[in-house]
Amino acid sequence: MTRAYLIRRLLAVFLVLAIVTFAVFAITTMLPGNAAIMILGEYATPDAVAALEKQLHLDQPWYTQYLTWVAGILHGDLGTSLRLSLPVTQVVGEAFANSAMLALTALVVVTITAIPLGALAAIKRGTAMDLALGLFSYLGTCLPEFVTATLLLVFFAAPNHGLFPAGGFVAPWENLAGFGAHVVLPAATLGLVLMAHIARQVRSEMSEVLSSDYIRAARLKGLTERRVIRRHALPNSLAPAVAVISLDIGYLLGGIIVVEEIFAWPGLGRLLIYALENRDLPVIQAVTLLLAAVYALSNLLSDIVIALLDPRVRYA
Amino acid sequence: MTVQTMSQTVTAAAEKPALSIINYSLSYKTANGMVSALKNIDLTIPKGKTVGLVGESGSGKSSMAWSVMRYLPPNAVETGGAIRLAGEELLDYTPYQMLDIRGSRMSMVFQDPSTSLNPTIRLGEQIAEVLMRHRGLTKAQAWVEAEAALARTGITRPKEMLKRFPHEASGGEKQRVVIATAFACEPELIIFDEPTTALDILTARQILDLFNQLRDETNVSALYISHDLGLVSRVVDEVSVLHKGVIVERGLVGDVFQKPSAPYTKQLIGAVPNPDRWIGVDAPAVPQTLVKLDGIGVHYGAPSKIQKMFWPDDADKIGFWGAKDVNFEVRKGELLGVVGESGSGKSTIAKVLAGLQDFQGKLEFDGKTVGSRRAIDRAYRRRVQIVFQHPDASLNPRQKIGTIIARPLKLYGVVPREKIKARIAELLEMVRLPAEYADRYPHQLSGGEKQRVAIARAFAAEPELVICDEVTAALDVSVQAAVAELLVKLQKDTGAACVFITHDLNLIRQLAHRIAVMHHGKLVDFFDRPDARSADRDPYTKALLDAVPVHTPAEA
Repeated sequence: MTRAYLIRRLLAVFLVLAIVTFAVFAITTMLPGNAAIMILGEYATPDAVAALEKQLHLDQPWYTQYLTWVAGILHGDLGTSLRLSLPVTQVVGEAFANSAMLALTALVVVTITAIPLGALAAIKRGTAMDLALGLFSYLGTCLPEFVTATLLLVFFAAPNHGLFPAGGFVAPWENLAGFGAHVVLPAATLGLVLMAHIARQVRSEMSEVLSSDYIRAARLKGLTERRVIRRHALPNSLAPAVAVISLDIGYLLGGIIVVEEIFAWPGLGRLLIYALENRDLPVIQAVTLLLAAVYALSNLLSDIVIALLDPRVRYA
Repeated sequence: MTVQTMSQTVTAAAEKPALSIINYSLSYKTANGMVSALKNIDLTIPKGKTVGLVGESGSGKSSMAWSVMRYLPPNAVETGGAIRLAGEELLDYTPYQMLDIRGSRMSMVFQDPSTSLNPTIRLGEQIAEVLMRHRGLTKAQAWVEAEAALARTGITRPKEMLKRFPHEASGGEKQRVVIATAFACEPELIIFDEPTTALDILTARQILDLFNQLRDETNVSALYISHDLGLVSRVVDEVSVLHKGVIVERGLVGDVFQKPSAPYTKQLIGAVPNPDRWIGVDAPAVPQTLVKLDGIGVHYGAPSKIQKMFWPDDADKIGFWGAKDVNFEVRKGELLGVVGESGSGKSTIAKVLAGLQDFQGKLEFDGKTVGSRRAIDRAYRRRVQIVFQHPDASLNPRQKIGTIIARPLKLYGVVPREKIKARIAELLEMVRLPAEYADRYPHQLSGGEKQRVAIARAFAAEPELVICDEVTAALDVSVQAAVAELLVKLQKDTGAACVFITHDLNLIRQLAHRIAVMHHGKLVDFFDRPDARSADRDPYTKALLDAVPVHTPAEA
């Protein structure tokens, strides 16, 4: 990885974010219709509308509005939520932390289960075990998350035998066990869909690696099967899985909106739905921008991890 | 010399042979029933001896190696016989017991070191892991031992090499690592499976010398598998010739060479290119220039705009020159040989001539100057055709042979539409394939037949220059000879000039009127064929010529 490559990629991330800020701003502000009237309702007094326009800087030309907004972002000031009367940074920050906890739990669980399952399927290729793993992962991908979530709720959170709470959130620093109980079902819902992606990717790459000349050479050196798999085959099968995980972060960001709504998890997804219903423009803008930033950065991160896994990868 | 070493072993004859294969047969279960791979093989390697196993692709020589290593695919069925390592029956051992034997009592050196080493593990660990596994050394001890093992293979800074990854070492260095690994636990038997085929001429020569040296030092017994009879004669005492799973001839290597008895052996020896036997077309009477390369350069991985902006000083260090300041000309009707090792720039020049590669400098084709790849027009593309090394990759697997050959006919309107079918049959006949092949798909043809189709496609456009980029490199010796003769015949019939790119110096001296030698992207030598051995040749040319085994039955 050269310096030039890193600089180019970081510049690209900033460019993407700049375009996203513009698009978000354009969609939420420049569309026909007066935002102040939309917020206050069509029977609002002209005085109230004018006051709100002034508060929102809607009386300024669009480029001034845009630059004011971007300058605010750069200073860490995303404005004030129109409905919650709190700073947007605070509202979005809390929701983001909650969502990140859910998404990370899902990602970690998926990674530590899907990679061994994929590897196992590759080692046992063509056997009943491989077929069963394949069917299971197909099912996970085929079912949309609201179906998976409903099934999980029926089986694991039904009122008469509720193993896990059906919804809600407890912060881990307040009650770790409580957090664990609440996170199981939403994380499982997200995880079941992702499991298939990652396991299948690992399986196909691992199958290819296992039939390569250097694995044959390792076996002909008399190495134990354990070492052949763990040291020679598995590390070389992970690069595509990392790429898929980073793409799946994109899915997680979308999937989380549905899952958070079902399980009443107070994260970005619920906040976004709330903000859209209530036309809370500064919040919508901030959440959209944040999701784009997470996606762009996770892609960059995955390229760096792939380069670390394979010494041959030298981005130039 | 061979006779002498033979008599020495008579004294040790009481000892059990390192390897004895007795009446061994092997088949594979396939969708079309059982396919026999090896039939009643008898082969004995006395202690401290090297026996060669020679055969073309599909002869079963690799199956033999897998049988000895007890590493057969699940569909293999052994139908009888015995394989004994120092008298112990290997067929009786369980897979688990074999784990302790592989790598310690017998080991293997593979054809291509760039695929047989794990790309993500340092070379040192790949040697050391064998020592830790079989000799119970600690990691630190194993690395010290690995360094010593690598030093014995003649690598100058073994300690540094141990820390490198495979992609940071050259082909020769990697093969030395593989050899060091094979010798690390002082095995009784080593199987060499075409250990020099994937290497350049000079490197291959060094690896052969290394093999001979290590064998003398360690007195190891070896099975040396190769398709190249001439090469085998340099390293083995005895040779067995394998054809379609049967050993058709065996004996001391000199005898087999000079007095081959089996028809197949005779055919194999006859097909080996003999640089003194000229088979090319007559040189054009009046030399007329067809193409002139004027200061051709190709800069791969040239610095990007950002790199130029931030680090202008590094601009020269980035990327590398695939070809630099190359000047020569191709005459009408001649066959010009371009030789060089991998990375020498010979394929780069082929791509430039075929209009597939951006270049600096200029081309002059039939008096017209072409300043860049973009300036190459349709007429040029028709008059210059290229044939690639791997017909598998250059023929579309979803198209029938007829469709493939019809493409240039339609594209350039060579013949009227209604005559295309007849022309395809003619072209197939020209390359000595039956006309019915037009309805077949590439996968239904053998490697040599596929390459004939690729040649027919090139000549379909009625070109004035045909570039042949290693067209025989992927083919067996006997097929290679036939393809070379076919090219010469086509040249005779059509009068086209040919740029024949190869690493095979013996072959090119049978075909070419003039020879260009490339090294590190530069043209280092250019001479008429008869002058190949003259005193004023470039030292690099001399080194190349000295490295190739010249093996004519008459001379040996």
